[in-house]
Amino acid sequence: MYSFRTSGFNGYAVQYSPFFDSRLACAASANFGLVGNGRLYILGLSASGIVAEKWFDTQDGLFDCAWSENHENQIAVATGDGSVKLFDISLSDYPIQSWREHTREVFSVNWNLVDKTTFCTSSWDGLVKIWSPVRPTSLSTLRPHASQLSCTYSASYSPHNATMLASCSSDSFLRLWDPRTGEFPTSSVYAHNGAEVLSLDWNKYRPEVLATSSVDRTIKIWDLRFLGRAGGTTTGSPVNELIGHDYAVRKIAWSPHAPELLLSASYDMSARVWEDSSALKQPMQLSNMRQRGPNTGLRAVWDKHTEFVVGCDWSLWGAEGWVCTVGWDEMVWVWDVRSAKLQG
Amino acid sequence: MERLSSLASQLAPNEASASEKLFEKHPDDVVIVGAYRSALTKGGKGGFKDTTGADILVAVLKGLIERTGIDPKLLGDVCVGNVLAPGSGVTEHRAACLLAGIPYSVPFLAINRQCSSGLMSVDHIYKSIRSGDIDAGIGGGVESMSFNYGPNSVSEFSETMANDSEAKKCLIPMGITSENVATEYGITRAQQDEFAAASYQKAEAAQKAGKFKDEIIPIKTKIVDPKTDETKEIVVSEDDGIRGGVTPASLSKIKPAFRKDGTTHAGNASQISDGAAAVVLARRSFAQKNGWPIVGRFADCAVVGVPPELMGVGPAVAIPAVLKRNGLTKDDVDIYEINEAFASQCLYSVLDCGIDIKKVNPNGGAIAFGHPLGCTGSRQIATIISEFKQYKKKIGVTSMCIGTGMGAAAIIIAE
Repeated sequence: MYSFRTSGFNGYAVQYSPFFDSRLACAASANFGLVGNGRLYILGLSASGIVAEKWFDTQDGLFDCAWSENHENQIAVATGDGSVKLFDISLSDYPIQSWREHTREVFSVNWNLVDKTTFCTSSWDGLVKIWSPVRPTSLSTLRPHASQLSCTYSASYSPHNATMLASCSSDSFLRLWDPRTGEFPTSSVYAHNGAEVLSLDWNKYRPEVLATSSVDRTIKIWDLRFLGRAGGTTTGSPVNELIGHDYAVRKIAWSPHAPELLLSASYDMSARVWEDSSALKQPMQLSNMRQRGPNTGLRAVWDKHTEFVVGCDWSLWGAEGWVCTVGWDEMVWVWDVRSAKLQG
Repeated sequence: MERLSSLASQLAPNEASASEKLFEKHPDDVVIVGAYRSALTKGGKGGFKDTTGADILVAVLKGLIERTGIDPKLLGDVCVGNVLAPGSGVTEHRAACLLAGIPYSVPFLAINRQCSSGLMSVDHIYKSIRSGDIDAGIGGGVESMSFNYGPNSVSEFSETMANDSEAKKCLIPMGITSENVATEYGITRAQQDEFAAASYQKAEAAQKAGKFKDEIIPIKTKIVDPKTDETKEIVVSEDDGIRGGVTPASLSKIKPAFRKDGTTHAGNASQISDGAAAVVLARRSFAQKNGWPIVGRFADCAVVGVPPELMGVGPAVAIPAVLKRNGLTKDDVDIYEINEAFASQCLYSVLDCGIDIKKVNPNGGAIAFGHPLGCTGSRQIATIISEFKQYKKKIGVTSMCIGTGMGAAAIIIAE
């Protein structure tokens, strides 16, 4: 395991570079992101540990970052003042682009893994916006069909389909979108029974499967094929639930190497690795959906953080199982889930 | 500051109900690896009348280790409850551990909180695991009322103590405390007999259906035939106190035992019995690491004090206490195993808590098959674990009243 201290800044998000196996980006904010500056760290994994190769300071806090999928030096960030910025890490100090359209905090940014030329952002103004690095304004805006817009905490492209996008919000809904139409979500699922949905991630191997995490402390696994329709709302049951975190689950990420492994970061100060049993069984075995046997899926607990854990990502590189977590304790931890195991 | 309130809302109390929370699994949970008991036999005339408590304990510990497949070297402690033996059996029960194949490196503790001793031993192991002192242990209980029941089990009170109005209440015979509860709270003879008959009927049906088979470890022992004085070898595998065909009408003919105008009698009070029971507990991560089975989780245990002269109301205070502490309501619980020391106090406790009587002692209780004092607490855990399987239930509470004025209650979750 390796660590790095983001002194004076509280970590919010972390992502491995899709181009270099020794590079990480970390979005952080001063004063826990409540007020003050932000900082984007470009971190290098070196023989002597983690070193800050470069950093960029911003006026307001940073809540998320996403490496470009077609330019190894470009990275987009989500900012507290509503702006979306694109940095080129071969340059210094200033972003090469800054877009101001969101009217409240931008909370997530995600690059399209299939078409690679677009990325999306979600904001507390409720909207999801689609961007191209070379366009001065957003390409389109996805607006949830609700009388009162609630914070959209996360939006993410399917890694299997360039025209499929999911978002999740404080109104407890998981929404699926086709950005080509954008008028209405293609599906809206009341996913966490009223509790805010903070994070979502698409499974990298199962195109129909995605996970959501919530203030209700659960992680739910959804299979889009099993969603029904009643009234204007899509209904359905999750195919699995991962229960164990003591507080809200802030961020989740499926493994790039295994269809059943999921990493989660929580306000309970732990990061956990889960094995989703629904990946290992026939999808229609209903009796197994909520297994409460000894093997309910918790595989590893990382308890080195001393404050909220809010960001996490898997390394695409090298031995399978290296992950990075970041938290409000100003710590970036790089660790191997195979050696973390269950503690106690 | 809008940002602060938005973020704060993410820390809002979650929606998961308390009963849902009970099913969460954490690596530091204390789980039940296995829980078994001996048959309970009639004091002075049953299958164990010539077998010492320590010998019953040896057989139960051996059976427990064999059935759970644990390596006894890995245990951090063994704690056994006992009420009547001198020193609560501290010497002979340590010897029993050694004879059962538990190495000398595993320490032993004798524990005595009267009729809850078999639960206190399990609670002690639970708390030792919680605190991180040990990874796994055995909690159990044993009583030979054939050998140790009698006036010698209480040492004499000094004059000052015997004359103190409060202190001397601790000498009130249990039967009288039962009469006190019945009088104080208006539990009638008819109600008690109906409750007692139901206990017999449930136990009879359960025994016929083989529902005790899973929890009982059959024990080979010797018995002296009272007629011929011949010693012979037998296998004790069934409770021998269960009587068939008991009805409220048949019980109504029995004379009261403690007061002429009383309501407590031999048929609606617990039987004097011999038996042992034991439970293996471990931290979940430790059980998983060693490939031990997990059949349940020990979630919490509360002990309360009540007036000594009304000691039977213990469960009525202890059950709400442990439920409240865990944010549960009485209706969240699927099965209650409440010791039937006396029909009066057990029924009063059930009524006072507002518990659905159908959830109480589904396979009968101590009135039907006996109450070997120190054993009962562990026995009820073995019973509840096997009832979880029989009735496909999830949340159990075990409770009992405690002589000299206490009550205990614990929550057990099926896995």
